[in-house]
Amino acid sequence: MSKQYLTTHTVDDAHITDIFSIATTPTQLLSASGGSSIKVHSTSSPDIPLEQTLCGAHTLGCHHIVTARNGRMAASAGFGGEVKIWSISEEHQWVEEGKIMDGNKAGEIWAIALSEDGQFLASTTYDGRINVWDLLDGRKKIREYETKGSFGMSIDMSRDGRFTASGHENGGVYIFNNDTGRMLYSLPGLVKPVRSVAFSPAGTRLAAAGDARVIALYDVQHGEQVANLTGHSAWILSVDWSDTGEYLLSGSYDGKVKVWSIDRRACVATHSETDKTLWSIKWLPKNPGKSEAFAAAGANRSISLYREATGG
Amino acid sequence: MDIDLLSDVVSESEMALDDHGNMLPNLPQSRLTHEQAYQAVDSSPDSFPRSDSTRPFNIGRQNQAGAVITKIEDIFESITECMLEGKKELTIKLKSRSGHNNKYGDFDDDDADGSGVKRLSTRAITFPTKSPQEAWRFTALLRILELSHEALVTGVVTTKRDIYYRDPELFVKQTVVDRYVDDIAFTLGFERDALNVVAAAKSLVAGAFSIIRTDQSIMDYSIENDGALIPNTKEIRDLNLPDVRWIIVIEKEATFRTLVTNQYWQDSLVGKGIIITAKGYPDVQTRQFLHLLWTRFPRIPIYALVDFDPDGLGIMSTYKHGSMALAHESINLAVPSIQWLGVRSSDFLTDGPDAQGLLKLTARDRRISRKMLEKEMFGEEAQETDWRRELQVMLMTNVKAEIQILGNGESLGTWLDGKLLNGT
Repeated sequence: MSKQYLTTHTVDDAHITDIFSIATTPTQLLSASGGSSIKVHSTSSPDIPLEQTLCGAHTLGCHHIVTARNGRMAASAGFGGEVKIWSISEEHQWVEEGKIMDGNKAGEIWAIALSEDGQFLASTTYDGRINVWDLLDGRKKIREYETKGSFGMSIDMSRDGRFTASGHENGGVYIFNNDTGRMLYSLPGLVKPVRSVAFSPAGTRLAAAGDARVIALYDVQHGEQVANLTGHSAWILSVDWSDTGEYLLSGSYDGKVKVWSIDRRACVATHSETDKTLWSIKWLPKNPGKSEAFAAAGANRSISLYREATGG
Repeated sequence: MDIDLLSDVVSESEMALDDHGNMLPNLPQSRLTHEQAYQAVDSSPDSFPRSDSTRPFNIGRQNQAGAVITKIEDIFESITECMLEGKKELTIKLKSRSGHNNKYGDFDDDDADGSGVKRLSTRAITFPTKSPQEAWRFTALLRILELSHEALVTGVVTTKRDIYYRDPELFVKQTVVDRYVDDIAFTLGFERDALNVVAAAKSLVAGAFSIIRTDQSIMDYSIENDGALIPNTKEIRDLNLPDVRWIIVIEKEATFRTLVTNQYWQDSLVGKGIIITAKGYPDVQTRQFLHLLWTRFPRIPIYALVDFDPDGLGIMSTYKHGSMALAHESINLAVPSIQWLGVRSSDFLTDGPDAQGLLKLTARDRRISRKMLEKEMFGEEAQETDWRRELQVMLMTNVKAEIQILGNGESLGTWLDGKLLNGT
């Protein structure tokens, strides 16, 4: 049985160039692009008004933006190699709290992820290293993991902050235990670049996807691959779990969004409103009394919001 | 092979030299660059074989360039030291190979490693000096080092002729430049090409045009089946190109050859045209020629066909805006109307993301891309927002592609027809 999602709103030309990354909080959606500003949109009203613009956040453009699930912290990574940490003020405004530079070499940090409470930030480097930083304790680097040196294209941290997972150019997928500081699993890879990894909300499953056009599901506890979701015909650039862990969302280079049922291991909805690259897709946090919703953004410079069509 | 630079700064001249031609072997970085250079050549499993060896920078060359830059900077440094400390006298021992005198500029036949079979002669140039002749020699040497350093740092290949024209009053005649360039390369233990200096323009041109030279002779390029060397603009009295509808500048010689073999400039659906290649970064002569075409015939569109990688954009940028180093000459060399024909991400990624010929970016590619993004023209409200976007996409996807990805022979012609008909 398939599911129905309807476009509820599109923020046209949200940025003047490609939107490379979006992130959500319970009430907002943050978008980052090839331009220097980060934009903050309200998801509380149906017309998604612009609430704040973080001007000049990243002069060379911004390729990753992430939020902590508590909605109080955000981090963004720019093409110049800098990472900025943002927090929400008393007046409900995002303010820059500080910066992270990996050593003194600009441009080393690529993908980033925040833990649920925003205390830990994990990042990848071009040469395959994974670092974890404690943002409360002076933004100190607390973990350094080595892999085989292949570009770390994607990263995620489990909600409890215990695990970090990374996806690499050579197809490698790794899970690290942040408590022990050791690599837990080197997972049977996808051979081709892994452009997105995501832990399920309970932290028991890891989804990984990329140029192989399949989404691999792994069991985190045993380090085994448990499923392959096939159906995309182009590179998969991002995946995201719904709040309940029942559904997985994926966006691809050819502009397609798919919703997958984890129980049935099948695609239950496909959207192809654009043929332009979708760089980023994200579920909106579940809102009591409202049906599930997600957002998609990319090369067409706009942000589209979808909501599940309910029967009644 | 030694350049006995520091005999007066460092007390023991013996310690200043080692077997590898390092002038300052005690400096850690000169050693380091050397080792890196070899490493990079040996361990390049992920550097794909290049079909086009004329590309200015492959990995090995890049590291060699680094080594040459280091050596030149070492010389500058010791000169500065010498001046700061006053009194000190600096002697640069410049080596040249005997038998060279009657055959300057023809380096390629020679044994590059200078294995000692040939008899060597050494000239000492001292600074400071009271002799005007000696001071001139030193200035000329320094100027060539500087221009060569500039060529290396900017990645723009220059010719001996270019160097001469940069400062004709100083050099007086071409042979002075020729001799110093070769001697410097020899003394440093590299081939002349490693200084990013070539003997003469290697750029090729083919197309439906002819020129009348200053001596009244006529050169008809439309009957040159394989293309011909690009003419020197100083020798052009008049240009004759009534049928030309387009001009394409191509990064790769291989692509140029393909198109010339297929007579694309004659048979294109959009009419006749001119094809030019500078085999990588353009030299001054190529840019002068293109600039001349543009100023004389501003209505003929000029396109660039370059690789989808940072060097491709760098090459196009050099044609369009000029090189940073030659900023003072840009007005005579730039071709601001140049349009980007390809390769862009949309040329290969939408049709089939698994297209053969996609390469991943190297660490150097990523570093250069970032440096380019920092340039003013790549700013978000500057003129080249298109380039900015494609550089960012390159970094996002970590993918680059050579012109060859568009296909060879007929498929390339079809692709070009499509692009030229629909505009860019």
